[in-house]
Amino acid sequence: VSVSSYVTAASIDEALIALAGGARPVAGGTDLVVGARSGKSTLPESLVAIHCIAELRGVTVSADGLRLGALASHEAICENSDVRAWYSALADACAIVGSHATRAQGTVGGNLMNASPAMETGGPLICLGATVTLRSATGERTIDVADLFTGPGGTVAEPGELLTFIDVPAPAAGTGSAYLRLEYRRQMEIAVVGASALVTVDGGKVTDARIAMTALSPTIRRVPEAEAALVDSDGGAAAIEAAGGAVAAAASPISDVRGSADYRRAMAAVISGRAIERALARARA
Amino acid sequence: MTTVEEPRTAQFVRPDGKEKVTGAGRYTADLNLTGQLVAKFRYADHPHARILRIDATKARALPGVLAVLTHEDVPDVRYGGMVKDRRLFAKEKVRFEGDIVAGVAATTAEIAERAAALIEVDYEPLPAITDYEAAEGDSSALVHPDWESYEAADVLLRAGNRLGYSTIVKGDVDAAMASADVVVKSRFVTDPVQGVPIEPRAVIAQWQGDKVTVWTSTQVPYAARGGIAYTLQIPESHVRVVVPLLGGGFGAKCDFHFEGHVAALALAARRPVKLVFSRREEFFAVGHRREGMVIELETGARADGTLLARRGRLVLDKGAYCGEGGFFAQMAAMHALGPYKIETANIESSLNYSTNQPSSSIRAPTAPQVCWALEQHMDELAEALGMDPVELRRHTLVEEGSMTATGQKLERIAMKETLEKAVELIGYGQELPEDEAIGVAVGWWPCFAANSGAYVKLNGDGSGTIITGAQENGTGAVMAMPKYVAEELGMQPEDFSLLYQDTDAAPSDMGSCGSQTTFNSGRAVIAAAVDLRDQLLDAAADKLEAARDDLELVGGSVRVKGSPEKTVSIADLAGGGTFHGKGSGELPEAPEAPAQGCVGRIGLESFHAPQLIAHAVRVRVDRATGVVRVLQVAAAHDCGRILNRIGADGQVYGGVVMGIGQALSERTQLDEEGRHRNAHLTDYKLVTASDAPQIDVAWIETDTPGAGPKGSKGVGEPPCVPTAGAIANAVAKVIGARVRSLPMTPERVWDASS
Repeated sequence: VSVSSYVTAASIDEALIALAGGARPVAGGTDLVVGARSGKSTLPESLVAIHCIAELRGVTVSADGLRLGALASHEAICENSDVRAWYSALADACAIVGSHATRAQGTVGGNLMNASPAMETGGPLICLGATVTLRSATGERTIDVADLFTGPGGTVAEPGELLTFIDVPAPAAGTGSAYLRLEYRRQMEIAVVGASALVTVDGGKVTDARIAMTALSPTIRRVPEAEAALVDSDGGAAAIEAAGGAVAAAASPISDVRGSADYRRAMAAVISGRAIERALARARA
Repeated sequence: MTTVEEPRTAQFVRPDGKEKVTGAGRYTADLNLTGQLVAKFRYADHPHARILRIDATKARALPGVLAVLTHEDVPDVRYGGMVKDRRLFAKEKVRFEGDIVAGVAATTAEIAERAAALIEVDYEPLPAITDYEAAEGDSSALVHPDWESYEAADVLLRAGNRLGYSTIVKGDVDAAMASADVVVKSRFVTDPVQGVPIEPRAVIAQWQGDKVTVWTSTQVPYAARGGIAYTLQIPESHVRVVVPLLGGGFGAKCDFHFEGHVAALALAARRPVKLVFSRREEFFAVGHRREGMVIELETGARADGTLLARRGRLVLDKGAYCGEGGFFAQMAAMHALGPYKIETANIESSLNYSTNQPSSSIRAPTAPQVCWALEQHMDELAEALGMDPVELRRHTLVEEGSMTATGQKLERIAMKETLEKAVELIGYGQELPEDEAIGVAVGWWPCFAANSGAYVKLNGDGSGTIITGAQENGTGAVMAMPKYVAEELGMQPEDFSLLYQDTDAAPSDMGSCGSQTTFNSGRAVIAAAVDLRDQLLDAAADKLEAARDDLELVGGSVRVKGSPEKTVSIADLAGGGTFHGKGSGELPEAPEAPAQGCVGRIGLESFHAPQLIAHAVRVRVDRATGVVRVLQVAAAHDCGRILNRIGADGQVYGGVVMGIGQALSERTQLDEEGRHRNAHLTDYKLVTASDAPQIDVAWIETDTPGAGPKGSKGVGEPPCVPTAGAIANAVAKVIGARVRSLPMTPERVWDASS
């Protein structure tokens, strides 16, 4: 099946009209086109290209937080020094998505809406408490990234809805965050195990912790047991080990060509422990 | 004593570099012919099954389909290298996932795909024979039940699923093993890997009358021509094979593969037909990958390290068809000995059919896996002896005057010198962080003497053209030929054009395989230049009224030595005649290997002008995850005289990086029926440029008997040989355990260390 209709939207409204008519959106095309070429999925019959909508491109940092247009590229996000300083986990993630070409072409909105359990940006955004705006021809709604995913490749978005913006609240003072993944090689990698950590420390004590696991369950999700192991602790080795163990226990890994379930579970503890360590170091810096 | 000299600095930039880098170069898939159709294949629906019925009626009826071919539509012949065991289109049985049942030519790719799916094939599925070690058992079902009737090379010892069997026997290994102070036994298993050229293969065929021209991305145009002629039962003079720029091969584009199918489709459709593989097809459908192997080694040594006895048992996965890999059993056996002095030996090596993808030559076939096992085994022996592994190798490596286990006397080889150089470059013995270690491995690889021929002709203006049958696969070996010719003729390399990819033009040639392009084709080109030089000297002697022996060719002219005013330019001479040289050069003779008691001798029991290799690597191991990073590689090679330092270094850089991939991440994963599970670049993990370590290269330039032109030996394959072994030994030092499966993936390293 080949694409029978392709339009380029100049504005959000134009895009929404096309979506209401049954079109599917394409931005960087790094998942859609690559997936179709490799036979993983077929191209939609009708496409609306949204890459020319200028207002969806921005990466804006203010006192209230970070606002990302859906079209912000991974490269644009991780090269922003404010993002690196205050939203480190997201910068960590954007810096290691795919290859140089993927990062330049691929968008954060596309990364989220592709809803792969192995995506890089989902875990950090969940831990950072991000929300997304889903807009349709009839209105818009705001939902937590944590509530966006329904399963591998699935989101709560309706067919006519377009992800327009991602808003991330400014982290509390004393907060650090990190994203880490197990990497077999240094480029062109897909997470076999990934972990995001956000911690807030106050006077030597962890006052808040948010830990999310990637590629270890059907959707990226937080692990409350791991967070509980850290909150009110001193953030020392024992607490980190307990939190890592809680992630491993919560994981429901699969065995496939990338690794066995046993290995993934063991790595869940290692990688999440390291993400927590790095987040703590950043919080204390 | 072997002569070791400082490397000379001969080097130049290859002339085809710019067009490739800028995108101006044209590869086979870039070519389009008027009216061309698209070819698609219908592959086996079961890895192993009897074909009961094929009905292509519906496919043929589909609008836009101009040809559908099955075994009924092509001559009833089997083809193959040392065993003719394969047909263009499967007839009685399909024997692996990528076996081709039918081919379709249609006006678009979509129609061709639909037509291929519409072909009705009824099968009786048979149990897959994926365990190639068990396949040699008497009770195993046969991949080729009627193998005895196949045409095959007499030297192969065939039996049941065994396509080849080879032994190396020297002395009384039992007695020697019994007398040893230390005996070490090891077993290793390797996964299949792929060549993965970045250019997927492409073929275009066009008939004019009863003659066909085939443009194809092959490393071996003459083998491709021979395959087309044989399978279609037409004379080779009716087949012209042209190779546009080749986007990598690494061995995977050796052999005749799909040229016959496409030529047959074009003949039936009466239109040009083009085949371009997808990346998935490039993985599973190509009957040409690096073989999986089971390697068992046992070595007995005296307390001082002297190697008294070596037993070896090797089992190699041939897959479903012979292809050009029929020689693997003996080649693997030679690598199980390695470049060591061993007093007694008994190595047996089996090459077994299975219903897996066929294996054939990938860069240094059989060597990287066996070397990886042997070099770990040698380190295990060193540990058992309480010796430093480098010290053990110093004591046991071959040197000038050594006799190999097959009775070959080695002369002027710098094996030990490469070891010393690699150890020096890496800083062996330095203090390292606790998660780092240095490992060392050595290996060897033969030169292959083969016939070749070339022409060098002068144009009327004094420029020239070189016509060679050699194929350029990216190594730059063909690109160096103008330099050799220019040196003989006192001209400049830029004075020559190069015609190298057309079987109608040049004498036949082995192609770009076996690291032999410079060795054989370079020899022929130089001989042709010398022939032309003689013609020019004769003509100039006439013109200058001088004695021929007093003349020299310098700066584009022929002149009388000592009287620079008595000169005639080559351009002036060229205008007055049709100067054309031809040559083959003298084929070097293989060294003798008179050992008795070896069976399955196919000519590899002696290693002609062997290339000697020592790699030392420094790695860092993340013990908690098993992830290994290679930080530094020191590569010291005796490849004879280096003719182009840039090109030779490039072969080492590429070979080392390929070796790292095969050591740590590259593997084809198969399901229980032998189907590919990761036939794509996302999960077939090539290493990337970002993973490449610092690579230091040293050339020990030795004047080896039987070497190629200007004292050169091969360069392309050796860098692949000991890389995995050196990495394995470094990893074992860090984790205190052996990883006995290749590749040594993070999970396997983690498994071994925890």
